[in-house]
Amino acid sequence: MREITENKEYPGYLLKCNEHLKLDSGKSISNFQIAYQTYGKLNEKKDNAILICHALTGDQFPAEESPITKKNGWWDLMVGPDRPIDTNKYFVICSNVLGGCVGTTGPNDINPETSKIYGLDFPTITIRDMVRVQKILIDELKIIKLVSVIGGSMGAMQVLQWAATYPESVKSIISVAGSLKHSAQNIAFDEAGRQSIMLDPKWHNGQYLDKDDKPENGLSVARMIAHITYLSEKAFQNKFGRNLQEKKDLSFGFGIDFQVESYLRYQGRSFVDRFDANSYLYMTRAMDYFDVSEDIQKNKEEIINNEVRFLVLSFTSDWLFPTKESKEIVSLLNSIGSNVSFAEVVSDRGHDSFLLDEPQFFRVSEGFLKGIK
Amino acid sequence: MRSDYKIILDLISENSKVLDIGCSDGELISLLADKNISAQGVEINQERVISCLGKGLDVIHGDINLMVEDFPHNQFDYCILTQTIQAVQKPDVLLNTLKKVGKNIIVSFNNSARLSKVVKFLLSGSFDSLLKKSDSDQWYNTDYIHPCSIKDFKKLTLDLDLRIIDTYDVINQKKFTNDKIPSNLFCKEVLFHLTND
Repeated sequence: MREITENKEYPGYLLKCNEHLKLDSGKSISNFQIAYQTYGKLNEKKDNAILICHALTGDQFPAEESPITKKNGWWDLMVGPDRPIDTNKYFVICSNVLGGCVGTTGPNDINPETSKIYGLDFPTITIRDMVRVQKILIDELKIIKLVSVIGGSMGAMQVLQWAATYPESVKSIISVAGSLKHSAQNIAFDEAGRQSIMLDPKWHNGQYLDKDDKPENGLSVARMIAHITYLSEKAFQNKFGRNLQEKKDLSFGFGIDFQVESYLRYQGRSFVDRFDANSYLYMTRAMDYFDVSEDIQKNKEEIINNEVRFLVLSFTSDWLFPTKESKEIVSLLNSIGSNVSFAEVVSDRGHDSFLLDEPQFFRVSEGFLKGIK
Repeated sequence: MRSDYKIILDLISENSKVLDIGCSDGELISLLADKNISAQGVEINQERVISCLGKGLDVIHGDINLMVEDFPHNQFDYCILTQTIQAVQKPDVLLNTLKKVGKNIIVSFNNSARLSKVVKFLLSGSFDSLLKKSDSDQWYNTDYIHPCSIKDFKKLTLDLDLRIIDTYDVINQKKFTNDKIPSNLFCKEVLFHLTND
């Protein structure tokens, strides 16, 4: 049984599913729920819907003011009235991913079988599992075909998985700063982040909520490591240089001397308030396991027959998901004979460019959407 | 419509797959699409890429000198290079790649050895007449780095083991029937239809 209700914890809605969902790991979950938010209006023919897929630390609030941070939503520049993804025209749906910590079932929810918090009993999930759950939501909203599925970074992974698994349900996809599979370097960064969390004694083997505790230091360091990978060398240099933090001389100690240290510590600390450590583990694992190449090969005929149109975008200074990896997506899509476009946007702000004010990026995306019939 | 496009539209049969290199704002791809020919463009200029996308055309943004190798082999029935080859850094390398990417190659360009140009060059003593593509170009900053003649291009096809199916005089919209006509001297714009078999 499935039921849509208002979400009492956050703005938006909950889709509650009283059913078993088989996951890639072979395990399954039951009684799961999907937290989502929508913007704009679904038309009568239900053919103006766009699904936005969020990145690792995103949520279902890309537009307007975020109820979590009280600042503009993470893709406010991209999604809204008269924005590239124009909510005057499109009905925009964004859901918190499976394993997330903003309302959708994740490791910190109650396991219906034991009536205890899942913790590490939560099954390992994959990007494909996240997309399965999103498909259930789209089905429940009675949307047959999405105009587009759009996302950056981990969102781009979901987007590609959508085209590979449900080509009949999408007219187009936009993959921003993504890849066909997580690279060894990216898995390495993820592992450093996870170790940082798991070596924090306050992690308590994943059962920290039972002990009313939180691995704040571990999660904070994980975020600091990750944050470095989101920027570029030039972005750091331009923003901070070797400037000292509210002092004129070096302290000859290990406190904060440089502005960049202060900035990173702040990024780590503020992240802890809004994100959950176990979710971080599960979601980085899902990214590590991601490799969509085979699914695209396997379903190439459906992708072609459904005339799915692909737009692949990358940024020149992104070294986490470099242009080379976007070109691998293009190359694979070309080899199966699909409709693919590609653009590389010049930006010196690294991987995070996709969340920032990059007019060229917006214009390319808007242009592509305009061409979707 | 551009004269070379007319010839290309007649030449390519329905349901073919085409790669248009240096597709600009997608005029040729649009025309091909109207004929039920699926075409993908390659374009270096981002504004033109955006313009193609807005028309619902498939376009790859990038420098053809760097990226054609990214295309999988035997994927296209035709690779088209109109008024572009003279701006390519290494035409031989590009054509060699295109040979693997597509079965047929169509190349159109202005014949730099035609009499009027040669005379202009002799009288002026300046390479401007050979190298300038627009008024803002100078010999030192032009993209038009490989002016070539019909004779030059024919030699290149031999070197690269490409077979010439037909050669067209673009302005007169006519096939060259035999090699005796001194086309190298009089033809302004030429179109070659080549194949890799």
